Amino acid sequence: MDVGGGKDMVRYNIFIAGVGGQGLLTLGRILGNAAIEAGHDVTVAEVHGLAQRGGTLNVQVRIGPGEAPQIPRGGVDLFIALEALEALRYSSYVGRDTRIVMNKFIWPPPLAEYPSMESIIEKLREHGLKLYVVDANGLSKKILGTIISANIAMLGYSYAIDPGLQKLLEYKHLEKGLERVFRGKVLEANKKVLKESYNEGLKLI
Amino acid sequence: MFIPIDYLLASKGSKVLLMGNEAIARAAVEAGICFAAAYPGTPSTEIVETLADMAKHVGIHVEWSTNEKVAFEAAYAAAIAGVKALTAMKHVGVNVAADILMSSAYSGVNAGFIIVSADDPGQHSSQNEQDNRWYGLLSHIPVVEPSSPRDAYHLVKHAYSLSEKYMHPVILRSTTRISHTRQFIEIEQDIPVEKKCKGEFERNVERWVLIPAHGRKQKKRMMSIWKKIQEDDGAPPFITIENPGMKKVVFASGIAYAYVSEALEYMGKKNEYTVVKINLPVPLPYKPIVEVLRDAKSAIIVEELDPVVETQIKKIAHDHGLPVDLHGKDFVPENGELNLEIVYDSLSRFEGGGITKPWRSIGEIKIEPPVPARPPIMCAGCPHRNTFYILKVAANKAGLKNPVFTGDIGCYTLGYQKPFETQMTSFEMGGGVGIAYGLSKVIDEPVIGVVGDSTFYHACIPQSINIVYNKGRAMVVVLDNYYTSMTGHQPHPGTGISATGEEAPRIPAEKILESIGFETIVINPMNVKESIEKVTEAYKKYIEGKPVAIVSRLKCALQTLRDARRKGIKLPVYTIVEDKCTGCMVCVNLLACPAIVVPVGVKKPVILEDICVGCGLCASVCPFNAIVLKDKGSPNWIEAWM
Repeated sequence: MDVGGGKDMVRYNIFIAGVGGQGLLTLGRILGNAAIEAGHDVTVAEVHGLAQRGGTLNVQVRIGPGEAPQIPRGGVDLFIALEALEALRYSSYVGRDTRIVMNKFIWPPPLAEYPSMESIIEKLREHGLKLYVVDANGLSKKILGTIISANIAMLGYSYAIDPGLQKLLEYKHLEKGLERVFRGKVLEANKKVLKESYNEGLKLI
Repeated sequence: MFIPIDYLLASKGSKVLLMGNEAIARAAVEAGICFAAAYPGTPSTEIVETLADMAKHVGIHVEWSTNEKVAFEAAYAAAIAGVKALTAMKHVGVNVAADILMSSAYSGVNAGFIIVSADDPGQHSSQNEQDNRWYGLLSHIPVVEPSSPRDAYHLVKHAYSLSEKYMHPVILRSTTRISHTRQFIEIEQDIPVEKKCKGEFERNVERWVLIPAHGRKQKKRMMSIWKKIQEDDGAPPFITIENPGMKKVVFASGIAYAYVSEALEYMGKKNEYTVVKINLPVPLPYKPIVEVLRDAKSAIIVEELDPVVETQIKKIAHDHGLPVDLHGKDFVPENGELNLEIVYDSLSRFEGGGITKPWRSIGEIKIEPPVPARPPIMCAGCPHRNTFYILKVAANKAGLKNPVFTGDIGCYTLGYQKPFETQMTSFEMGGGVGIAYGLSKVIDEPVIGVVGDSTFYHACIPQSINIVYNKGRAMVVVLDNYYTSMTGHQPHPGTGISATGEEAPRIPAEKILESIGFETIVINPMNVKESIEKVTEAYKKYIEGKPVAIVSRLKCALQTLRDARRKGIKLPVYTIVEDKCTGCMVCVNLLACPAIVVPVGVKKPVILEDICVGCGLCASVCPFNAIVLKDKGSPNWIEAWM
């Protein structure tokens, strides 16, 4: 939680980083709906436009009373990175107590030099951060045959390792969040991905 | 599959998560509009997109017009005929519609009329960050500015009341952070069953024919409304005074209120300040301002971008002889968007400094090699990539020396990047052809205006006519991918469907160009070899001095992917055969496709199967035939692209 002077203002801050096309907006929407289901106020800050595919992207979810959509640097409680380079790009949003859940996936921009996964993990560990590296693409692919639900897998992993989020939302609220966004076969598939990633996540603690 | 629109039609008392733009749309329907017209543009697009989704269910007319001026005229006409209407556009779209905007204030309306201007502080997706509250002052149209999506939901309805109180247009100014933030909103009324959709035209030349003599009369009418608003409309929800009577005051306009409110809370100083929440920044009603300043010693005006409210408050203080120590842009940045952290800093400085922030960042993590920039790029399979490649290769073949490629606004603007460099200008909608023409009159190099399909219909037709009429030497290339793709695949006059999904007449770009006098060649850029030949021929004709145009037609890859999924079509996937690949990097360096990557420590590229959509361009450029089909896809895969 934020360490602020005011007592009433406690917002739970979730920063989602990744690349346009990885399902960040959908993930933000699910979290927002889950928060409503749990009876909380919530804002979800999105960025649309040119970053439809392939550009850097972030979505900021703030649960609790208040209306400012963006999270201050250092004020993030839970940092969900769908792509490893993007985890570093937005590292200034991370504070000492932030929990980081990072997808073990690098999607390099064309024609660019970039650091390796090992060096990224090493850097994050150097800072003594609570880091959880997960294979969300792999899990989605294992269950559905495509990486399309890696975003949902990130949600399952993150929920499993984050006591802060568990305090605010029950597992059923996440499922309700999915129900508000998907339906039919896609809903069932995503519920399965959520369940499996949650169970996998519990093993990481 | 996403759940479509149930949540938009939710009944009174429902708790829903609405994006600001959805909230604006829902509120407009609750207010009883029956006509909405817009041209898409970030961050405004989802307003009319949402209305289009709702249209059939609630029985209203919703359309994508050819440009903002056309949309404004359409919606304004409905409003002068007594049908409540809305038009929405991005901030720079208002520039396109500015002529009719100015006149609409002179003549007024006969039913509620709102122009939503969605501004983009911070330029997330725009060529500038102009503050459109100035348009209110310029045109004498009041500006209502919400502080949050929830606020927008309420204020749209109040804005319609204000519009009908004076029978005057009202600008609702949103910003990216209002339009694109989702917030928990409790629906406060059901969608009305009764609404007025049939208008009647009042024959009144003095009002609608703005010849100078009539215009002078109308101006007096307009100015009396303006004065009345300044006098009478300072009560909530337009101006709200919190914790009155304090020596220190913060005036917070629009979203700045959300930041001020939270920042003061964190500082533990909420009780020390009178906070004035301003949701009608233009024209600023003076009474509540005077009331607050009478008790105050010092005040700070917090607003995003330009000192629009600050200027007015300083004038009010001066006119009323109130010697308050007034601050604003000396503490609050004028460039870029505000946020909680920035406003916290501004208030801290207003307090004399020294208030530490409650957030402790670990700072930016440095790494070698550094995290590469990731600007938006053309998607895997994007037809623009093919066209740009074809345009360049054909230029060499035809002996077209040092061509200048002017550009426009769309995903294809990304062609400014290496390796394409086929967009060398991008100013505003239509400039791709207009600038090409002007350059062609004064420089020696060949000039090729490369513009999108939606852009062509929007603002490139007069310029194309000008090329032929005034004997310009510019070639026109229209990139037709069937949709206004950048803003999320809205249909346009070349698509063959309407905003609400019905079949619509198609007006092909080549027919327009031909009728203007261009010899027009249509290519399918997936057929790379054939297209290079055709474009080479076109260039040769251009060199001979003939008016030539090209229409490059292939569906947007994102829409193709979506259609393929919907129809159960499997697209082909390519792979690089390691033994055949020499690591020459031609595919990487010529195409910059996000599906082709070079893993760390490896000297040969690989194709990411999950990203590849099987356009085959890389296979056609590989000099060693090392790129082959890994998966042929469905036999009818090509249908997804057409």
